[in-house]
This record gives sequence, C-alpha cells and structure tokens, in this order.
Amino acid sequence: MATVQVSEAEKVYILHGVRDDLRVDGRGCEDYRHMDIETDVVSNTDGSAKVSLGYSDVLVGVKAEVGKPRPALPDQGYLEFFVDCSANATPEFEGRGGEELGLELSNTLYKVFSNKQSVDLHSLCISPGEHCWVLYVDVLLLQCDGNLFDAISIAIKAALFNTRIPKVHLSEDEEGGKEIELSDDPYDCVRLNVENVPCIVTLCKIGHRHVVDATLQEKACSVASLLIATTHRGTVTCVRKFGGGSLDPESIFEMIETGKRVGKALHTPLMELLKEEESLGKKRQKVGFLG
Amino acid sequence: MPVDHRRIRGPDESFSPRLFLPSGSAKCAAAEDRRSGDGARGNMDVRAIFARCGLVSQAKGSAYIEAGNTKVICSVYGPRETERRDETEMKRGKLLADVRLAPFSCRKRGQWIQGTEEKDLSQFLLESLRPGVLLQKYPRSQIEVCVMVLENDGAFLAHAVTCASLALADAGIEMYDVVMGCAARRSGDAVLLDPTFAEEHDEHPSPSGKESRLTLALMPAMNQVSGLQAEGEMDAESLVEAARACMEGCYKLYPVVQQTLLKSVRKKAPPPES
Amino acid sequence: MAAGFKTAEPLEYHRSFLKENCRPDGRELGEFRATTLNIGSILTAEGSALVKIGNTTVICGIKTELASPTVDGPTKGYVVPNVELPSLCSSRFRSGPPGEQAQAASQFIADVIESSEVIQTEDLCVEKGKLCWVLYCDIVCLDYDGNLLDACIIALLAALKNTQLPEVMINSETEQPVVDLEKKRPLKVHRHPVGSSFAVFDKTILIVDPTAEEESLSTGLMTVVMDEEGRMCCLHKPGGTALSGEKLQDCVSRAVARHTEVRKLIDKVLESMKMDT
Repeated sequence: MATVQVSEAEKVYILHGVRDDLRVDGRGCEDYRHMDIETDVVSNTDGSAKVSLGYSDVLVGVKAEVGKPRPALPDQGYLEFFVDCSANATPEFEGRGGEELGLELSNTLYKVFSNKQSVDLHSLCISPGEHCWVLYVDVLLLQCDGNLFDAISIAIKAALFNTRIPKVHLSEDEEGGKEIELSDDPYDCVRLNVENVPCIVTLCKIGHRHVVDATLQEKACSVASLLIATTHRGTVTCVRKFGGGSLDPESIFEMIETGKRVGKALHTPLMELLKEEESLGKKRQKVGFLG
Repeated sequence: MPVDHRRIRGPDESFSPRLFLPSGSAKCAAAEDRRSGDGARGNMDVRAIFARCGLVSQAKGSAYIEAGNTKVICSVYGPRETERRDETEMKRGKLLADVRLAPFSCRKRGQWIQGTEEKDLSQFLLESLRPGVLLQKYPRSQIEVCVMVLENDGAFLAHAVTCASLALADAGIEMYDVVMGCAARRSGDAVLLDPTFAEEHDEHPSPSGKESRLTLALMPAMNQVSGLQAEGEMDAESLVEAARACMEGCYKLYPVVQQTLLKSVRKKAPPPES
Repeated sequence: MAAGFKTAEPLEYHRSFLKENCRPDGRELGEFRATTLNIGSILTAEGSALVKIGNTTVICGIKTELASPTVDGPTKGYVVPNVELPSLCSSRFRSGPPGEQAQAASQFIADVIESSEVIQTEDLCVEKGKLCWVLYCDIVCLDYDGNLLDACIIALLAALKNTQLPEVMINSETEQPVVDLEKKRPLKVHRHPVGSSFAVFDKTILIVDPTAEEESLSTGLMTVVMDEEGRMCCLHKPGGTALSGEKLQDCVSRAVARHTEVRKLIDKVLESMKMDT
C-alpha cells in the first residue's frame, strides 16, 4: 500500500494532537473527511458508483451475469469480488505489484459479505440448481489513502443500490427443458435491497487512542488497525486486525464500540443521499472523474 | 481454470460423494448445546491438545499439534539470507508465512494450487506472529514459517498459530512470548469454544438466526492480542463475549504449550547431572 | 573435530565409514532404517497412512470422488496419484508449483500403479459409461531425509488397503446417483508392490535406503519395485554410474527380502487395527 515517510518530530506532533482529540487537519478522532459519491458513472455496467473520501478514489462496477449456483447452495446466487489496484494510484502497483493488496482487499470483502443478511442471495436464484445471478463486483482503486476499506465499502453499497438486474422469465419447452427469457423492456428490472449491506470502519490505533478515516501520515504513526464492518442496525459482520503490532484487549473492545457507533451513523445519511441523488434523475449534476 | 501440467491430472470434473446423499440425512444435528453430542466437553471447554516439538529433522525448528482430530504440522527455516535482494530490509528481518491445506484435510478434496483462501490464512498467520517475534534481532535475513494442515476438524487456523509459534521457539528465534490461537463459534446465544468441523458448519439456523466465527491470537504473558478476525453476524456485546472466551481458552492452553517447550529444551540440552 | 570434518569434507567423512563397512548413522551397508507405519489416522480421508523410514516421513491420504468415465474406457475409473514436496519438509524445496523431483516422483508412482496393477480400474466403475470413482491419492512428504520413493509406495499401498468406498446407486427416475455413507466396502487391492532404493558410492559400493545426505553424495540411485510373487513391476534408475548385471541381481534379491519385511509390517498394523475395533 502507499506509504509516506514521517519524521520522528512529525510523529510526536500527530501523536500529541490525537491525544487531545485534535488532528492535523482539524478533525476530531471520530470524524470523517469530506466525501463525494456519484452513482451510475459507467454506462456498460449494471450498477456503478464512484466515491472519493479524503485522498482515496474508488470506482466500483457491478455486473450481473447468469451462472450456475454453487453445488452446496443450489437455491442461492452469489457475489464475486475483484479488486484491481491501478498503477495510477501509486507506481508500486505497476506490473504485479498491486496483486497482493488486491487479494487482501477482496478476501476481506468476501468475509464482510459472508452472512445471510447483507444481500438476499435467495432473490438471485433463477431456478434452483441450474441458474442464478452472479454479481461481479469489480473495484478499481484510482488513488489510495489510509481509509481504503471505508471508501470501498461505501462505493460497493452505492453501486449495489444503483444495480438493476434484468427480469427473467422461465419457460419450459416441449421436452421439459427450461429456457430463460430476458424481458424486452430495459426498464423492467429488479433492484436489490441494500439496507443491510455493511459499511466498513477502519480504526487506527495512535498512541492510546484510535482515529477514524486516517490519513497516510497518521497511518504511519499507527502500529495496528482494526477493521469493523457494521450494518445500519449495528450488527457487526466482520472484524479484522491489520498491521504488524498488537493491541491490548480493552482497547480492542473500545474500538469495536467506536466502530459500531461510527458505522451505524454512516448508514442513514448515505441512504438519504443515494435516494436524493436518484430522485434528481437526469437533472443531477454530473461530476465525472475530473471534477 | 489454469491447467496444471506439473501434476498428474484426473478427470476434468469430479464431485464429492457428499453431494449425492439422500436428502434430509445429510445435515447433522444442531449444536446449540454441546453436552448432548460431544461427550463430556462443555461449551466453554477447549479440546485437550497434544503438542510436540522437533519432529521434522530437516528444519531449524518444528512442531506438531493435535487437538481432537485437527492435526497441524509446522516447520521453521532460517534466519537465512533473503531470497530477493531488492526486498532486503536493513534494520529488521522478514517473516514469511505459508499455510497449506493438504488435499485430504477437508471433507471435500482441496486443490494443490494455492488458492486465495490459503493466501488469506497465511496473511492472518503472519500478522498474528509478527508482533511476537523480535525481528530487529535478525537484520537482512528472512525467517520462513511453513504450516501444513493434515486434518481439519475445526479451528485449524487457531491451532496453526499456536503450532507455528511453538516451531519458532523450537528454532531458537527470539520472541517476546508464545502466540496462542483460539477460535470460537457463536450460534444464537451459545458460544462454542474451539469448535469441531461439524460445529463450525452446522447449517441449522439457530432461533435468533445469528451465527459468527471468531479466531483470536493472544500473547498471554503481555496480555496483547496480535491477531483477530471474525465474520458472520454478531452484535458488539456478543463479539466481546466471544473474544473474552477465546482469551480464556488461550490461557487454558498456555501451560501445556510451556511444558512442551520445556520438554523439548530439556531433550536438546539435558541439565548437567550434579 | 568429527563435526568439522563432516562439514568440510562430507564425502571423505562418508568414505571413512564405508571403508569399515558401516555408515555414519551406525547402519550396515545393506540395512534399512527402522520403518514405522500408522494407518487410518486421517479421518477426513477415505483411506490414509503415515510412514516413517528413519527420519523421512510421508503421509498419503486418499479422497474418493465421482466422475464420468472417459469415452475410450467406459468401464474404468481413475487413480490420480500426486507426490508433493512442500517447503515444509526440507530447506531444499520452495513453495509454489512442484519442482522436478516432485514431478518425477508423481510420475514414478503413477507408473508403479499402472504396471503393478495394484488397483484394477474396472473395480471403480459404478455404471458403465456413466459413473465411476476417482481415487485421488495425495502423498505429502513431511520430513525429507532421503529414500522418498520407498516411503511413498508403502504409504500409498497402506492407504489403499485402508480405503473404503461408500455404496452408490443410480436412482432410475432422476438418473442421479444416491450415496449411502453408512454402507461401505473396502477397496480391492490386487497386488502389493514394495520398493527398495539403493545408492551407489564411488561407482562400486552399494548401499541400501540412503539418507538425504547419502543421496546427494552418491554417484547413482536406483529403485526396484517388486510384487509379492517376486516379479519386478518397475525399475527406476535415473542416470548415474553404470551397474553390472551382478550388482543388479544383488539389488533384486535384496528387494525381494525387503518385500516380505514390509508386507509383514503392513499386515501387522492392519491386524492390530482390527483388534482395536
């Protein structure tokens, strides 16, 4: 991941600031930076969103394809995650440099979504054991900051909200074989219920406190971070420790509490924003990538 | 799917016989409460472990752990020169972890090609071990930790952590403390510590419907958590409760691991006869 | 002093022992290391065995799966052996795809299975042209201290003898197979191939069951596989010094004797397992 060099004096400055709940850019410990969300940005996907949070820029595209259900779960569809680390983000990602981080991110996303609640996988089933919808969630990192996970999860939620899956009808031909018919009307589609899609909050432990939405400088001062994925009800779906250091149990429990509180608070404004943007329809102001 | 030319290949497609079980008979009974099924083991009991150091003659250090039917073997090589010069770190050593699941270790046959799952397991192992090792004592060198899971009867990752830190200690690598691993599964309100495979994969939804799995790595002497991962659905209170249960589990196994180390050190360097 | 000599001049060190007709670990030239066997220890596998020859440790696990047979062998199942030398077993192996030695060992085991007819693939047929069993025989080396092939063959043979196949029926209505895990039958093992490995030192001295160090210092290696009727199933001699017919004859008769030893060991372990249950 992108890293910056921070001198000892800078570290002390950041550390003391965090101790007094005042960060270098003026935020408190639990504040996010400004966030921009735009949905429906890539026309050849079934749903897409672009999120920029601090200096993180993430583009997520969702493609729905008809596939075969997994043998162990014949009556459910499934999600596939792929994270592509563009060399635009940092020169380190050139060639195969971004592969490891991409794998780490996508593995974590599988964990975040590995529960029955996040997405109703049963609704993605077309005919049990034969056909189901597979949602390919492709994440493209355009710029990396200390808060990658948070930005990715918000972008995924927005992209899934934006996703429209075409309606299909099953018909049987004379020999008893099943045939899938796609609806002719492009507006005749199904939408996903994204209410329970979790948001990820990464907490960086700095000194004795922890901060939300860390900058790269702050991340360089932290030995370990904790990732917490929560739904709008405050149900935690994934927790994971990252980084080379260790944490004492009490601070982990505190961080879980903070993560849950911050994550829960993130959902309502996000949903409102997404609904508002959609209601604007064609009138909405397009920002695009260079805006 | 890439074709593997370096191995003997079977048919293109084959299916586990477990997919063709007559419907209804396949699922095992719910594990809300363990006492009914698993003999005398209570919900908060960990399985007794058998641990031994120094079984792999070719390795600098090695360890083997058996917990119930879960069997894990680990060997440590190094410290030795880093393989890739451009990755040499001047100030501290590099720790590498590699977790492999033998193809016959799970109910369904695994593939030899290392999948993303194994990479993820390796990552967890690495992050759990790294805080415990004094890497600054080994500048410009690398230490390799290789784990092979021979049989998975639940909680294998947690035992892999314990096994790997035993092997590191056996190799004489300087550490702050032995890193202990423990896993728990929560189904409804019940926490099952150190679950078996059947308990981990129990498909019966509990009344409240919430299920989660948690793996924790702890350095008991310093009371520091070096690794934590949890997935599923849980509320913060139950998460904390499960994490505390895992820490209890680590403390319970700590003396066994200490004894194992003591035994292996005695064997290597017998105390002088007075 | 001895340790320094061993590190600086390993070949001379070994020669000084061989001159006295013994080896650094105290064995005679024609002596195998202690061989131990543990059968059925992996419960997730349908058959398994762990073999130790001295320090060399090999584990074989057999998984059974269902597949459709090939067009040119509609009554035949599959046996798929693979030998893996993970980075765990010795510092000479790297993690990642199998190296040359692992590939050669896999192919050798496949040859032994085929030429010895240890399994008749017709036994694996469930329904002609539709369904058959696949036996995935995965052999993992856990500690590499020479003589890998002998250990692999013993592990494979013992694991095959331990393998149970569940009963399969084909439902006539749905044409789907139905598996009954409660009813199992043991796999029929038709032949019992056992291998014996030799190393040639200085082009003339023949030693049995070489350790990893002896293997790397020797000028030639050879493995002879015999079955219970004293027939040779396989002879593996990858290059190295040439051997006279006489020496080869020595190896073969030693291999016959080794066959009886190993066969006894397997039977003894299987017998003791029966007693336990």
